[in-house]
Amino acid sequence: MSYIKVENLKYRYPGADRLALDDISLEIEKGSFVGVVGANGAGKSTLCQAFAGLVPGFYKGAYGGKVWIDGLEAAKTPISELCRKAGLVFQNPFNQLSGAKDTVFEEIAFGLQNFGVPKEEMIRRVTNVMKMLDIDAYGDCNPFDLSGGQMQRVALAGILAMEPDVILLDEPTSQLDPAGSEEVFRAVLKLAKSGITIIMVEQKMEKLAQYCDRLLLLHEGKQIAFDTPERIFSREDLNDYGIKAPIYTEICRKFEVQKENGLYPVSLAETLLLRDRFPKEEQDRGGMLQEHTAGTEPVFEISRLNFHYLAGKPVIKELNLTVDARPTAIVGQNGAGKTTLVKILKGLLKPVSGTVRYRGADIGDKTVAMLAGEIGYVFQNPDDQIFKYHVMDEVMFGPLNIGMDKAAAEKKAKEALDMVGLLELADKNPYDLELSERKLVAIASVLAMETQVLILDEPTIAQDMYGKQTIKNVIRSMEKQGRSVIAILHDMDFVAECFERVIVMAHGTVLADGTKEAVFAQEDVLKEARIEQPYVTGLFRELGFCGMYFSV
Amino acid sequence: MKKIFYTKFNAATLVLIPACIGINYLGKLFAQLLKLPLWLDSIGTCIGGVLGGPIIGAVCGAANNLIYGFTTGDSITLIYALTSFGIGLAVGIMARLGLMKKFGGALLTAVVAGLAAVAISTPLNCIFWGGTTGNIWGDALFTATQAAGMPVAIGSFLDEVVVDVPDKVITLIVVFAIVKGLPNKLISLYEGNEKIESLD
Amino acid sequence: MKSISLYVNKDTFLTRMHPFTKFLYIAAAISISLISGRMRTFCLFIGISFALLISGKIVRKVFPLIAFSFTILITIFLIHGLFHDGNVTPLFSVGPLRFYREGIVYAAKIGLNILNMLLAFAVFVLTTKPAELVEDLERIGFSPKFGYIVSSVFQIIPQMSQTMNTILDAQRSRGMETEGSLITRAKSFLPLISPVVMSSLINTRERALALEIRGFEAKQKRTYLREDKMKASDRALCIVMTAAIAGAIVWRVAAYVLY
Repeated sequence: MSYIKVENLKYRYPGADRLALDDISLEIEKGSFVGVVGANGAGKSTLCQAFAGLVPGFYKGAYGGKVWIDGLEAAKTPISELCRKAGLVFQNPFNQLSGAKDTVFEEIAFGLQNFGVPKEEMIRRVTNVMKMLDIDAYGDCNPFDLSGGQMQRVALAGILAMEPDVILLDEPTSQLDPAGSEEVFRAVLKLAKSGITIIMVEQKMEKLAQYCDRLLLLHEGKQIAFDTPERIFSREDLNDYGIKAPIYTEICRKFEVQKENGLYPVSLAETLLLRDRFPKEEQDRGGMLQEHTAGTEPVFEISRLNFHYLAGKPVIKELNLTVDARPTAIVGQNGAGKTTLVKILKGLLKPVSGTVRYRGADIGDKTVAMLAGEIGYVFQNPDDQIFKYHVMDEVMFGPLNIGMDKAAAEKKAKEALDMVGLLELADKNPYDLELSERKLVAIASVLAMETQVLILDEPTIAQDMYGKQTIKNVIRSMEKQGRSVIAILHDMDFVAECFERVIVMAHGTVLADGTKEAVFAQEDVLKEARIEQPYVTGLFRELGFCGMYFSV
Repeated sequence: MKKIFYTKFNAATLVLIPACIGINYLGKLFAQLLKLPLWLDSIGTCIGGVLGGPIIGAVCGAANNLIYGFTTGDSITLIYALTSFGIGLAVGIMARLGLMKKFGGALLTAVVAGLAAVAISTPLNCIFWGGTTGNIWGDALFTATQAAGMPVAIGSFLDEVVVDVPDKVITLIVVFAIVKGLPNKLISLYEGNEKIESLD
Repeated sequence: MKSISLYVNKDTFLTRMHPFTKFLYIAAAISISLISGRMRTFCLFIGISFALLISGKIVRKVFPLIAFSFTILITIFLIHGLFHDGNVTPLFSVGPLRFYREGIVYAAKIGLNILNMLLAFAVFVLTTKPAELVEDLERIGFSPKFGYIVSSVFQIIPQMSQTMNTILDAQRSRGMETEGSLITRAKSFLPLISPVVMSSLINTRERALALEIRGFEAKQKRTYLREDKMKASDRALCIVMTAAIAGAIVWRVAAYVLY
């Protein structure tokens, strides 16, 4: 018998009226790497939790069909027994730490303590997994002082130390920045080579195409297909399920470059093998390289700005910058001073020295509340602001604060919700929504204040294809109305797709500033700021094209 | 009776307790930050009582004071573990009787919780501090009663009433507002049916 | 992350002492003083506590704790010195206020009791690592669930305090005022407290999952990374203190029976 066997699995959460899983049947062999793909709400997480016995053991609800893990029937085995066979790692690195241990070493040993593993064996196993996941330097740190990527690896280590046969990875990188994601992906690749069975839910299709033997495609709880990555990604109807094929597949499809078997390549290596079949680069690339209208009048003028939280540790150094109405992306590594800079623009932090002018007036004299109607700022974590029981009330809170009457606030709130595509959810409780939707609610709640400037901090984290499209539309429509958008981003493909101007920051100063074509061409600057070229741009370069390409 | 005190002691209620203790702490912190003339340091205990029932509420309350007492050196807090225990228990019972579903019920719960606090704290105040509470308004009243020659117990009782009852009223209004807004998927963790329905 | 624990990480004989020994010291200091009821005994234990704190190199940490309870001490002296029930013998006057001997003695007793408790606790609190205390309690039979609650509070409070400033910024960014009249300030309480309460309650769901999948409900006997370090000196001290408490009780009962 296969290691994992699923037969007609059905599940419904308590209080829900729709099946979260609807008739799933499959078998997974030991040692294989299976990817699970689908839009938000497809049932991916629920399936992982069914393998771990949490569905139905923890949630209760309605359950049908059978799941066997190594011959144990999941629904009838206690979770504490099943978790030694199948270990689960989920999205939020923060919540899956035990929360009771104050060093990384003890955190990883937590599960082993619960099973009564002898002390020497515990120390041996913890030391080994820490080495394997490159976190051995942090053994004595408090796990909550680590970065997201490090924290997620600690969570993974805590599961691996229990030596399960199967690892279930439920979007382990979706809430991390690219550097953190890369750290986790490197760890996953090491695991895959070790021969352990892995089941991974992931939005980054390039990664799945690279790792997986097979992919399971889910849609609204139903199993659409369970097949090889190239067959799945070559499907014509992929977009209907909210999935974007890897960029390599997309480009090959565009240029109709197929493999012998009629399928499209899914990885860089495969694509490069077919390099000769791509058409020659067109000389006339007017459409791609058009000069953008140079910025209009300045919105922010920053001169000789300095800032520090602790004296002697400057965060921003002698920064000079002018921001105009063009959509502007600020990129750079963590700790470059990006968030500090936008907080100063918003008036949340006061400069130590230097001036910041907003439309000619010094903002040093204004309070946050005075700027609230002019400059909107969407925080990274929506849960730091949501407090109303209806999406509509939440979105109306800001407009009412800045003096709009109720009717006007309601009108603006409706328009904002419509723009982010959540008008239907206006009466819902925000906390009943997914994280990705709550992030959009937070954006709408600031949009509704109709500010001249909109500042977004990492809007694309945790968004799927639809969410990113929505944010792109928001940026476009702000641009059309002549309102400026400033966004801090790590996702370079999104930057290339949506922004005209790119500011690269490192160590509290501006390294490069200009159109995206100009900035992404400066390879030495990108290297110094430790950021990558967009995937597409890199691919065309590898294919031997000379120009800068930002979309297919 | 059995239904009122029925308590699930699983992972879900277990993690609820530290969260509630954290909420108590934050309530107090925000009240100080906004310079409000109230303590607001039992919001978490009351939420624990409403979601987990009287036993969990009482555990939240007692654990709150014990943990602070033993780690922050605030031994004064320690003695009032009994009071917090009583508040959590009272709110839990009232919630299980269905009173936290409506605003009026929440106010009644607040009065009951306030009186429970008074009943337990007054003797403690008399034994340990000669009747004072450490709150300016309450102690001013206490001083007045003593100046008028009333017994310590009555003065201390009045001192507690003016301090605790308004504090609990505001606390439970906040709790009522928060619990009303909690998403269904969370509430079902504490109240959900233990049975798994079959779809076969 | 700033911990709420007052534990001072110094390698001294007090930090190496077993938590239960120090705990028994608290019990002895408080109970023997109360049983004897004499100011002298209170002073003796206050002296011992100070000596321990000084030799443990942590006496400076205890002054903020004393300062903290100073206001309540002053109120007690004022109220009882002026208005105590049995006040008959005037002691001294400050302007129109006349302080009485009985009230001042009564207040002094309360004050000494508070100081004694505070210092005895300080000896324990400043020298005991919470994680070690929890493990030692679990070893003698306390439920790991109890241990989880205690350790988790230590992690959760600094985390929640960190989000406090972010929430403040986020709501102010949406035009909310946090200064001004009492009504304005009171109105901003809910928008500030709700997000953190909601998200921490919602996080409990995933936290509970995290515990389940790491075998928290497993029935096996748990193992620990640290050794139990009850030493011979700890045992000797425990015996001495238990004997002292018993002695105090016997002495008090005997005194009661004889007179």
